Amino acid sequence: MKKLAVEGLKYKYPQSESLALDNISFTVNEGEFIGIIGRNSAGKSTLCQALVGLVPHFYKGAYGGKVLVDGLEVKTHSIADIALKVGMVFQNPFTQVTGSKMSVYEEIAFGLENIGVPRSEMVQRIDEVLKMFKIEHVKDHNPFDLSGGQMQRMAIASIIAMRPEIIVLDEPTSQLDPGGSEEVFQAVQSLKKQGITIIMAEHKMEKLAQYCDRILLLDNGKAVDYDTPEKIFSRDDLESYGVAAPVYTKVCKALGAKKQGTNTYPVTLEEAEAVLKEIRR
Amino acid sequence: MNKQSMWSLRLSTASLVLIPVAVGVNYIGKLIAGLLKLPLWLDSIGTVLAAMLGGPIVGALAGAINNIIYGLTADPISFVYAITSVAIGLVTGILFYKGYISSWGKALAAGIIIGLVATVVSTPLNIGFWGGQTGNIWGDALFAAVLANTDSTWIASLLDEVVVDVPDKLLVVLISYGIFKGLPKNIVQLYSHNDKIETLD
Amino acid sequence: MNSISLYVERNSFVHDIDPITKLIYIVFAILIPIILPSFTISFICVGISLVLLAFAKVLRKTVPVFSFVFLILITVIIIQGLFKPENETILFQIGPITMYQEGLLFALTITLRVINIVSAFMILVLTTKPSELVESLVRKGLSPRIGYMIVSVFQIIPEMMAAVSTITDAQRARGMETEGNFFVRVKAFLPLIGPVVLGSLINTKERAMALEVRGFNSRVPKTYLYEEKTYAHSKLIQSLLLLGIAGAIVWRIVS
Repeated sequence: MKKLAVEGLKYKYPQSESLALDNISFTVNEGEFIGIIGRNSAGKSTLCQALVGLVPHFYKGAYGGKVLVDGLEVKTHSIADIALKVGMVFQNPFTQVTGSKMSVYEEIAFGLENIGVPRSEMVQRIDEVLKMFKIEHVKDHNPFDLSGGQMQRMAIASIIAMRPEIIVLDEPTSQLDPGGSEEVFQAVQSLKKQGITIIMAEHKMEKLAQYCDRILLLDNGKAVDYDTPEKIFSRDDLESYGVAAPVYTKVCKALGAKKQGTNTYPVTLEEAEAVLKEIRR
Repeated sequence: MNKQSMWSLRLSTASLVLIPVAVGVNYIGKLIAGLLKLPLWLDSIGTVLAAMLGGPIVGALAGAINNIIYGLTADPISFVYAITSVAIGLVTGILFYKGYISSWGKALAAGIIIGLVATVVSTPLNIGFWGGQTGNIWGDALFAAVLANTDSTWIASLLDEVVVDVPDKLLVVLISYGIFKGLPKNIVQLYSHNDKIETLD
Repeated sequence: MNSISLYVERNSFVHDIDPITKLIYIVFAILIPIILPSFTISFICVGISLVLLAFAKVLRKTVPVFSFVFLILITVIIIQGLFKPENETILFQIGPITMYQEGLLFALTITLRVINIVSAFMILVLTTKPSELVESLVRKGLSPRIGYMIVSVFQIIPEMMAAVSTITDAQRARGMETEGNFFVRVKAFLPLIGPVVLGSLINTKERAMALEVRGFNSRVPKTYLYEEKTYAHSKLIQSLLLLGIAGAIVWRIVS
């Protein structure tokens, strides 16, 4: 079932000369994990924001085409309405703390209070996400006193508590240390297990290769390709889009080691190991 | 920017988030002025910046909330001076949107105007609450000198406020204008009131 | 995290009084001496506030605020005592300095008024969590957006202050002069405040978006995580205070 459909999406920021998104179309099925890659300023953040309605409602500007989230047209609905279907997590763990709540527990409640969730259900949902994202032990701490990784998991928890069917993550680990990144990736993995549809812009290609069902390659506001990680990372022109394939793919490419019976290279450690063992034989 | 949008009462979320930051800027302005032992307050940079970025309503709200916070955290009397802060926000917003703060020279003139407005609003409050003083050592020394030589509390109080407020607001407006000019375009754009989405279909 | 709030956590009946009642008390304490101007009434009002502060076990916490106010009040007493235009009756002389009765009495009026206002506010400020005050106001109809702004200032200021101290250290390490004549010090101001302001303004964009995706502008009626705190005798105390104000007005007209 199509959970998300983007049709000929075009967008220009106010007082900008060029299109930030130029005729982008793709669809996402329920429960899929989609990666968005491309160089800086390729349009990744803008596209993420277009999926939750921040483009165009927050920025205004010029808009064309269509984004349908679970049948809801983004252009004609408010961000608050869209937020019930699709949630979003941003890059900087500090700036997405609301700044009006004194504890992690209350911070997670913020969105639920806004969308009018009754108290008993609120408490139940908060306890659930605290456990899910392993931040129970800090629930009474001030949100600003958490580590980067904990803060980002709190941000994800705050969104998931609102029970969206889709979650969009815009480079959620780019400002975290390796430990913090790992915590966040594990949290995202647990979302996938629950069948939530995930869209994630990210620079860590090894991670995307490991988790994604499909990858959307953006360049200059245009969709260059939309395919499985194997196909995308096996492209010869990848570097011209400012993207480096996972290190396993690079090694196998250099050795000319393709996956058996296909025209693609391995993208994960396990695949590479299997293919290289095959060659040694 | 047309007139109607300048007075828009529908605050965007961006403006709403700008206001607490403006209050924070006021606060740290005062903190740094104290750190550098400057004889000025420099505690309205945030209010002035908010008015430049978001217009008179945002400026006025930033001013009011600023004094509520001061009242709750340091000096309850500052609740009363919320009126002055609101005036500073309003006047700055109007001057800026009319294009009267668009160069260093104009910013200088605007600083003096804003200082005078602040003086006119504050003086009756000073007289009502403090017998005419401002609490600034230099200004109050002048107050005492004038009071000793004339028989008008009003003149003494007005002079007390002028010598403190005008240089203070002048410097505040110049500093704010300097910061404003250094802001990235997409940040300035964020608070403007255009609310039409054009179509590319 | 440092807090800029003056709230002091204690167990006392004053702490358990409705924030709205405390607001009404402030109005009461300010209005009564205006309606009935006399030293006795002012002293009584100050007395009530101080007794309540003592019951709340926060009397010591008022010292920093009062000492700040007293500093200005002392100059008021000296300046008015010496120079008030209406000064006539000599109270005492020390060498060339003459203190007058009119000026001192006027200064006493101001002092009482200021102490009265400050002590009434101290009850609210020292015994009420800012977030609780705002929440009660929002439940009474204050726009949640205004409420958000006030509460978030309490979180943002400590954050910004931490940024200032980081930058001050960095700039000093780079050899920036923060001492010297007036112009040297003014010149140091911009590089100290500039980066913090710029950073904070840039952050507003993502914070605003983060609020939006969490339903900040939702039209659905808001719910609350915590049950509305019930305060004992709110209605009774509030009516008594309002009755007191009305009584004072009547007294003023009649007598």
